[in-house]
Amino acid sequence: MTLCNENAPILVNEEMGCNIWLMTVRAPEIAATARPGQFVHVKVPGMEAHILRRPFGVYAADAEAGTVDMMYQVLGFGTERMTELAVGDAVEMIGPIGRGWQPPEGCKRALIVAGGVGSAPLYPLAEELTAAAVATDAILGASTIDALVARERYGAVLGCEPACSTDDGTYGRAGFCTPLVEEALAAAAAEGVPYDYVACCGPEPLMKIVAAMADAAGVFCEVSMERRMACGVGACLSCVVDTVDGKRRACVDGPVFPASEVVW
Amino acid sequence: MQRIPKETSVNLAVDLGGLAMKNPVTTASGTFGAGMEYHDFVDVAALGAVTTKGVSLNGWEGNASPRIAETPSGMLNSIGLQNPGVTHLKEVELPWLASIGATAMVNVSGHSFDEYVAVIEALEEAPVAAYEVNISCPNVDAGGMTMGCHVPSVEKVVSLCRAATKRPLIVKLTPNVTDVVEIAKAAEAAGADGISLINTLLGMAIDARTRTPLLARVVGGFSGPAVKPVALRMVWQVAQAVKVPVLGMGGISTSTDAVEFMLAGATAVAVGTANFVNPTATVDVIDGIIDYCEAQGVADVNELIGALKC
Repeated sequence: MTLCNENAPILVNEEMGCNIWLMTVRAPEIAATARPGQFVHVKVPGMEAHILRRPFGVYAADAEAGTVDMMYQVLGFGTERMTELAVGDAVEMIGPIGRGWQPPEGCKRALIVAGGVGSAPLYPLAEELTAAAVATDAILGASTIDALVARERYGAVLGCEPACSTDDGTYGRAGFCTPLVEEALAAAAAEGVPYDYVACCGPEPLMKIVAAMADAAGVFCEVSMERRMACGVGACLSCVVDTVDGKRRACVDGPVFPASEVVW
Repeated sequence: MQRIPKETSVNLAVDLGGLAMKNPVTTASGTFGAGMEYHDFVDVAALGAVTTKGVSLNGWEGNASPRIAETPSGMLNSIGLQNPGVTHLKEVELPWLASIGATAMVNVSGHSFDEYVAVIEALEEAPVAAYEVNISCPNVDAGGMTMGCHVPSVEKVVSLCRAATKRPLIVKLTPNVTDVVEIAKAAEAAGADGISLINTLLGMAIDARTRTPLLARVVGGFSGPAVKPVALRMVWQVAQAVKVPVLGMGGISTSTDAVEFMLAGATAVAVGTANFVNPTATVDVIDGIIDYCEAQGVADVNELIGALKC
């Protein structure tokens, strides 16, 4: 797979809620080949003293329109600077990078578990699974109702409301989303139609718990790992994840790993 | 789209201590893998040389994460020379570099004097154009910088490597010493064909909010545009003090940076951290050197070496 470095004009850059923003750019080459779970490595203009690129999971890639959506949470200088970019400005981005989601062959029923902006790189998977007629359920966890920014998109692609939790109880189940995961796994097993795939992206403690729950239920699970990253193309070995096969690169060996391979 | 350097009538070829380079631009070890990861962006064979990631005899796991931190106009890393070992380099990366016609300079690392020699011996039949002996990595507990800070250990490791090969032997120095000239002279006297510098400066960064270091290993190597003035000064000092050619590096992001290093006395330059920011940085630097030479009426890039007026 060939990587490219596209100069991508910004078409949309707006806050969706709770410091979580949507940026849509025109990047036809990346949009044409991006697979669910891959990411782009973005050089944010106008911050020369902050030299490194920032990695963002592809929230949506529209090959026909030639556009790529990124969801970003404002956490530091780079994302702060991104909020100041206007339609017509451009960002340079390398992509599409990495090993994306790889549902098991013959997957019949899948469970997607997203914490916070982890909902972004899982959304293209939800699209792909539903298009392949895989029965797909989603659980979205967030801090508060306004941070559940992907709820409507998931609802539209799944054809039903995703299960939601908020830490403050303003929407859905109050507290973390992990009890919803445990209940979903148990209910599917009780129905006699167990899940055969769990895909999780979010804070590492969440992924660790979900991986353990899936393992206990005997369901294959993948997680998407995040690390500080420099090159983003596999050269610098900055972003390694501890795995059963030693230290592997989050950028190109991941970011999606089978949960059973991750040493938490 | 893969970039290649532009056509020019300027002579770009330089001789780095017996390493014939088609242009004066290589990569700083550890920032470019062995080139495979960047071949989508630039024609790796068009570079003066590809300097590969530091290699040890049996492979090292490297340090714990987090391994990097961004700092003003630079970054810290503490990768710790993670590499799969010399056999992997011989079986995978070097044949690939040879197949595309690239010039390979292998950065050689070790935890002991014997390991440096063993790595070179293991590579003597492989398609390698030159060795860069890494006695300057600040991120390992044995070997690396610990060998490059004292004249007796520099003399010993360089002498042993010299005895192990007739190929061009470039010795990469650390800036974390009181007198880099003294170290450079010791390497030259022990048989080095060239001196490369600088490796990273030892630094650290702290998150005041959490009161924790930003790197798992606490300290790491500082690189990027912020280190350029230090690197330029050291290249200038060393180039005046030794007869062997100098490979200059440290914060080179643009062709102007590269030209400055050559004026200070470098025969060739390496692009490092800039690759992370701009995957075509190597070819951009070559093209910019061509533009500079053409604009300045320079017919041969060798005219720039040490041409600083002061």
